[in-house]
Amino acid sequence: MKRREVIKNVALMLGGAFSAPTLMAMDNWENATKPNTNGIAFSLTETQQRIVAEIAELIIPKTDTPGAKDVGVPAFIEMMLKDCYKTPEHQSFIEGLDSMGKVKFLELNTDEKRGVLKFLEQESKKITSKTTPFWRLIKELTLLGYFTSEAGLKASFEYVQIPGKLELIKLKPNQKAYAY
Amino acid sequence: MNLNIKANKNNTFDAIVVGSGMSGGFAAKELTERGLKVLMIERGHEIKHIEDYDTAMKEPWDFEHRGKTTNLSAEERWANSRFWGLGSEEVVNHLTNDKENPYIEKRAFDWIRAYHTGGKSMHWGRQSYRWGKHDFEANAKEGIGIDWPIRYEDLEPWYTHVEKFVGISGQKEGLDVLPDGHFLPAMPLFAPEAHFKNKMMERFNRPVTVGRVANLTQPQDIHTALGRASCQYRSKCQRGCPYGAYYSSLSGSIPAAMRTNRLSILHDSIVAEIIYDEQKKRASGVRIINQNTMLTEEYFAKIIFLNAGSINTAALMLNSKSNRFQNGFGNESDQIGRNLMDHQLGSGATASIEGFEDDYVYGQRPNAMYIPRFRNWGNDKQTAYQRGFGYQGGASREGWNRGVGADGFGADFKQGLTKPGAWTISIGGFGEILPNSNNRIYLDSEKKDKWGIPMIVTDAAFVENDWAMRKDIIASAVEMLETAGFKKVTPYDRPTHMGLGIHDMGTARMGRDPKTSVLNAFNQVHDCKNVFVTDGAAMTSSSCVNPSITYMALTARASDFAVKALKKKEL
Repeated sequence: MKRREVIKNVALMLGGAFSAPTLMAMDNWENATKPNTNGIAFSLTETQQRIVAEIAELIIPKTDTPGAKDVGVPAFIEMMLKDCYKTPEHQSFIEGLDSMGKVKFLELNTDEKRGVLKFLEQESKKITSKTTPFWRLIKELTLLGYFTSEAGLKASFEYVQIPGKLELIKLKPNQKAYAY
Repeated sequence: MNLNIKANKNNTFDAIVVGSGMSGGFAAKELTERGLKVLMIERGHEIKHIEDYDTAMKEPWDFEHRGKTTNLSAEERWANSRFWGLGSEEVVNHLTNDKENPYIEKRAFDWIRAYHTGGKSMHWGRQSYRWGKHDFEANAKEGIGIDWPIRYEDLEPWYTHVEKFVGISGQKEGLDVLPDGHFLPAMPLFAPEAHFKNKMMERFNRPVTVGRVANLTQPQDIHTALGRASCQYRSKCQRGCPYGAYYSSLSGSIPAAMRTNRLSILHDSIVAEIIYDEQKKRASGVRIINQNTMLTEEYFAKIIFLNAGSINTAALMLNSKSNRFQNGFGNESDQIGRNLMDHQLGSGATASIEGFEDDYVYGQRPNAMYIPRFRNWGNDKQTAYQRGFGYQGGASREGWNRGVGADGFGADFKQGLTKPGAWTISIGGFGEILPNSNNRIYLDSEKKDKWGIPMIVTDAAFVENDWAMRKDIIASAVEMLETAGFKKVTPYDRPTHMGLGIHDMGTARMGRDPKTSVLNAFNQVHDCKNVFVTDGAAMTSSSCVNPSITYMALTARASDFAVKALKKKEL
């Protein structure tokens, strides 16, 4: 599949997924049903899990420090969606994964995958729905899962568990941020 | 009345204190230190200082949901989780399960509760400001509500007494609007905040100071004697401090009272009713219901201090009916439950700051900067609203979460987020709410909770004065941040109800006239002098500063009065 087609497909999917009638339908559905508060209904298929892992790793790749997969971000994302998010976000996330499936995301090469994500990022900004779009959800949860994991946090920041003092200091060149 | 004569002797104390929070803890301390045998009754479960701060030393990755609110806790803590961050697994188990302790919102009220030893003093924001002279005089001068029966001078020595014991870090500024207190060394303002402070003075003649906060920057003997140590600048106060560095009933007043060997604490005991002795014309004790066993018991004392928190104190009084008090205990004035006040918050502005790239901070400051009230103060006259507001806020460098809203992903993006981000600043208003008899709580005439106690109904909301003030809180915040030269100044106005300030007060107000108030100048119930109310319920107006040290000062003053009166056999 050519890059142009990929983008066209994603655009179509996004346009379809977040058009006004769909949003209205989602609202109606939300009003008509009890919100799924404990998230029992939310789970991902194996393919969906692979897409999540792939995207998370593209957001935070393994470099000289661990990547998203190394610290368990993919499973974290699924758990967080289940426990801390409700039906509209679940739907938004699944629809996002569906559109990734339709463009055969897993079969693309790395450049193409990055191209899709860049496009997704720009398109997500246009979405005005109250429901967090797929890209924002996966990015937010990837960063949270990574930067608060033990390995991710310690590799990224200077971890200070007990500062013991409060001091105004000057930043040294290339100094990492403190994490507490 | 069904007196349990056998239990009578074991169940008799000099004083009963209902509640173990900010003011109840202080009452227990003051009364026991003056020689009284005190029974403190807490409706919630026991929390032991340090030992039971189960999340205090957890690392970020120890929290399964990394501090986010789960659907389950949002459901169980449906009111508590309305306050930002209180649904988080860092603190949520120390806040009341609203599902098990429901209340009825005739008008929405964000009632934040912590039913356990120490109550909300375990979770408070620790900001500690004296009221000014004007705060006690404004009602009379402006013809709002009723006059306070006391003035600043009456409370001044008690503020000092409280501040020394609590330990408050702050900067003396010599301002009438925000009287100085007895302070431990101040925490620093960060570089952009110092710039902001200078600009505000230069352009508006408005002072800015660092927050006055109940964290020990330099513990004194009075603190170390109770095992309280210096702040470690983790800024994880709300989990409970294993160093006892911030003040709470758990770290301060309860250990001080225990030290006298005159304090007994009863947990899991909901005070359902004040027992009134029709012959002696005084309260003789209280009837409690054990929240777990549902068993009822009676306890007796010469004096009773009500410190259940303003809403629960009012509810307890309303539920205590007798021949003498058919409309609720000491409620001849029909003011109990009324004049419910709070501080409005949730509005202000944020900005990003260019420059100061080299300035950084080691440690986390459990504090903010403070902008004292400048509206309807001095030469400023607002036509749209009465009274004023202060701001709390501060500057910080962005962390990794700046990446969430920013473009990008991949290796460079990941690497970039390991560096401190740009400085940003946020300030939010705390606005005074006026006493209004239509803002109230009352007991539902039919619905009862699982202990058979009538359910509390909240019926209060912001009025025109609050909305007009809110507009100005936002506009002035924008103006100040722009004047300081900050960029991308963005107003914010989060949807909130009354209650979210967690400064609920006024439901059994002090006053001179028993026809219009519930308590006298020493917090005694007008019509039953051996019952004192010294929590937020006593407040006749709300000022715009955080109220805890005022509650504690009123409590200490009333305790001193009560013990003297007892000794003179006047009670």
